[in-house]
Amino acid sequence: MTRLISFVAATLVVATSFIAFAGTAAAHERRTVGPYQLVVGWLNEPAHVGFMNSLDLRVTDTRVTPAKAVEGLEKTLTVELRTGGLAPLPLTVTARFGAPGAYNGYVMPTATGTYIFTIKGKIESLDVNETFESGPGRFGDVESTDALQYPNKVPMADDLGKRLSDLQGAVDQTRIFALAALVVGIVALGGAAMMVRRR
Amino acid sequence: MRRALLSAVIAAAVLSLTGGIAAAHANYVKSNPAADARLTRPPTEVRVTFSEPPDARGSDLAVLDIDGKRVDVRDVALVSDEPNTLRVTLGAIADGGYLVSWTALSTVDGHVTKGAFGFALGDAPLPKIPDIGPSALPPTALEIAGRALSYAGMALLTGLAFFTMFIRVPASGAERRRERRLVIAGGAVLLLGSALLLLGQGANIPGRLLGLLGLRALAGAAAIALVAVPARFLPEDARREAIAFLGLAAGLTATLVSHAAAVGDLGDVAVDYLHVMAISVWLGGVVAFSYVAMPSARGDDPRELGRTIWRFSLTALVAVAVIVTTGTLASFDRLVLFEDLIETPYGIALLAKIVLLVGLLGLGGLNLLVWGPRMRRGLAAGAQFWRGVMGESALFAGVILAAAFLTAFVPPAQASAAAFDETKHVSGIRVQLLAASTLPGRNRFVVRVQQGLTSITGAEKVALRFTMVEHDMGELELVAAERAPGEYVAEGSPTAMFGTWKAEVIVRLAGRSDVRALFTVPISPAAGQDATTKIVAVPPYQLIVFADPFQPQAGAPITINAVVVDAKGDPVLGKKLRAAFDGPATVAPLDAVENVAELGPGRYRFTVPGLEAGSWKVTIGVDGAGSGVYELVVLR
Repeated sequence: MTRLISFVAATLVVATSFIAFAGTAAAHERRTVGPYQLVVGWLNEPAHVGFMNSLDLRVTDTRVTPAKAVEGLEKTLTVELRTGGLAPLPLTVTARFGAPGAYNGYVMPTATGTYIFTIKGKIESLDVNETFESGPGRFGDVESTDALQYPNKVPMADDLGKRLSDLQGAVDQTRIFALAALVVGIVALGGAAMMVRRR
Repeated sequence: MRRALLSAVIAAAVLSLTGGIAAAHANYVKSNPAADARLTRPPTEVRVTFSEPPDARGSDLAVLDIDGKRVDVRDVALVSDEPNTLRVTLGAIADGGYLVSWTALSTVDGHVTKGAFGFALGDAPLPKIPDIGPSALPPTALEIAGRALSYAGMALLTGLAFFTMFIRVPASGAERRRERRLVIAGGAVLLLGSALLLLGQGANIPGRLLGLLGLRALAGAAAIALVAVPARFLPEDARREAIAFLGLAAGLTATLVSHAAAVGDLGDVAVDYLHVMAISVWLGGVVAFSYVAMPSARGDDPRELGRTIWRFSLTALVAVAVIVTTGTLASFDRLVLFEDLIETPYGIALLAKIVLLVGLLGLGGLNLLVWGPRMRRGLAAGAQFWRGVMGESALFAGVILAAAFLTAFVPPAQASAAAFDETKHVSGIRVQLLAASTLPGRNRFVVRVQQGLTSITGAEKVALRFTMVEHDMGELELVAAERAPGEYVAEGSPTAMFGTWKAEVIVRLAGRSDVRALFTVPISPAAGQDATTKIVAVPPYQLIVFADPFQPQAGAPITINAVVVDAKGDPVLGKKLRAAFDGPATVAPLDAVENVAELGPGRYRFTVPGLEAGSWKVTIGVDGAGSGVYELVVLR
């Protein structure tokens, strides 16, 4: 009985993995660079803000059939990640255990939006400098978790940042109004004092 | 009172005859060739249509090749069959990129605007649009001084006449002398202001503007002349009515060259005129009170002064109500965003005017609620009231100056030929999206990006992402290229279906997160637009079919796009579509390509190598259903 349960559980895990993997592969960008095919995307798609994620890079050599995984690139490739026009973050490239030709670069995206992976270095003897940007027909942007949260909405990192920034703006605005009101008040008081004195 | 009203009506009628409704800045609306057009045949002329009538003498259309050499014959002229349009004849031109640099002198107030666009003949690349600075040249000191003096003169004449007719009739000889001096001052200031404006325009002044400014100067001179007419020929009350008429007439000349007239709506002109008159009655009245009435009234019984204050305060209250109402209505038309108040020269001038008017309102409130009632009770408050009136007069000067800047600057809301034109303010960046058409099919999208008053050039990336609200048509992206400083252009057919589309504009700037502005673009068949997009019924489906390019030309490749939707409007995938061609020549049937990843769901594409000129019937068949006919005209 225990064996049967173990077998069913193992089958479920494998089936779930296939389903998950199939979805992930669909939201990756494939590009041929020289004789190699690069597949780039997020390891966990859809990528959500505030959750640990990783670059999912897979490199195969298409000169042979079936295509052969290219290993050892964690030593020859560098990957940078950036969003918008902000300064890039270098990712530490690691080979994925048990998956030849697959590489990770872990990161926790803290803002929603478009992300760009820049992959530089060498694949065997070929120099590469490729940019992969999230977007339609490529791989997914980093999304907000708002639609998934239940029952309470908890602001994530970028939301908090935006809210703090908005709050700071409101505080600055209030300060200006308060100063203006103070000036008007002082002028009014001065005027009133002058009038009382003259009476 | 009846005579004054009659005077106003006559003034309006007379001045309305001097010219139609026009605007204050001539902006590019459209052109032929269109901006960024790709032509297969050389055009014989270039036409540019503006948002208001340009003056041919002071305007220019220069067509330059890539070496900067003029290829037009310099015969710039107004076109008789198309309003607000200038044309220039072209010489023989070879394949290449051409730049049209335009300068437009408004016939209304003589403002100069300038800009440029490009077109290409053959396969040549489009020319780079140079940075030619601000579209509208900033006003000169002479213009600001002329405007400020003109407005001050109008306010003095109108406000003084109103005050002396309805608030307090000058009783003593000294008071009448001061009244005459103020009329002379008002007339002189109006005359001087008009002269400065004429001087600022120079020899290139458009005829209509010359006429209106001339009439304004004449009103000032006439006011001065009226003072010199002895009382036995012209009684005091008749003189006051005549001066009121001149003030009203001068105000009308200001309205007829204002931004309000640019809208081309008589209601806007009326609102502007009411605004000008209300400000004139209030501000001119304050000066009349302080200069004409106060020196005599200071010795009067405080109760009498209190009653005068009460009458004037009521008048001011009505004037303020009119100013606030008309000013708010005008702002809706001329401001695009609330942020315009602090980010555009027009908005800053408007804000300054509002702040000064609020100050005036505060002082007026003191008169109405504090000093007036005190004096009516017989208590002494004349000195406080006097100081308040002096303060109001000082603010009056500020309001006039702010109004001079306000009327000289370009309002943020400008006319354009775009079928969709909307502006959003996101994280301190103004993002304006313009779409040439709101029909499904190929479209041209222009994104203008500004930070404060500055156009943002060299953005790392400007992209537009489209998703449909009603149906899942996938997400499609267009990347825009910078065509002019701060102006990014993309062309494509992402909005290929009737319905509501969300267009997210993404602007990538160095050192900051992407700026994302979301627009809702309705795509629908609309009267007045060139509907080459057709719905072809193939039960149980409907096909939305359009050609790319919009107007196919003989021999050039054509793409026929078809979006297949079911009865619910959802895209239909996995169908085989075949097109058969019936026209001037024999063409083999073509199968459509479906590429969901690239084109989006439900979209099919026929790539036609080229067709002969003429009318074609394209019969599109859908497997498992019937077929329908799309009519296509191929130009020679």
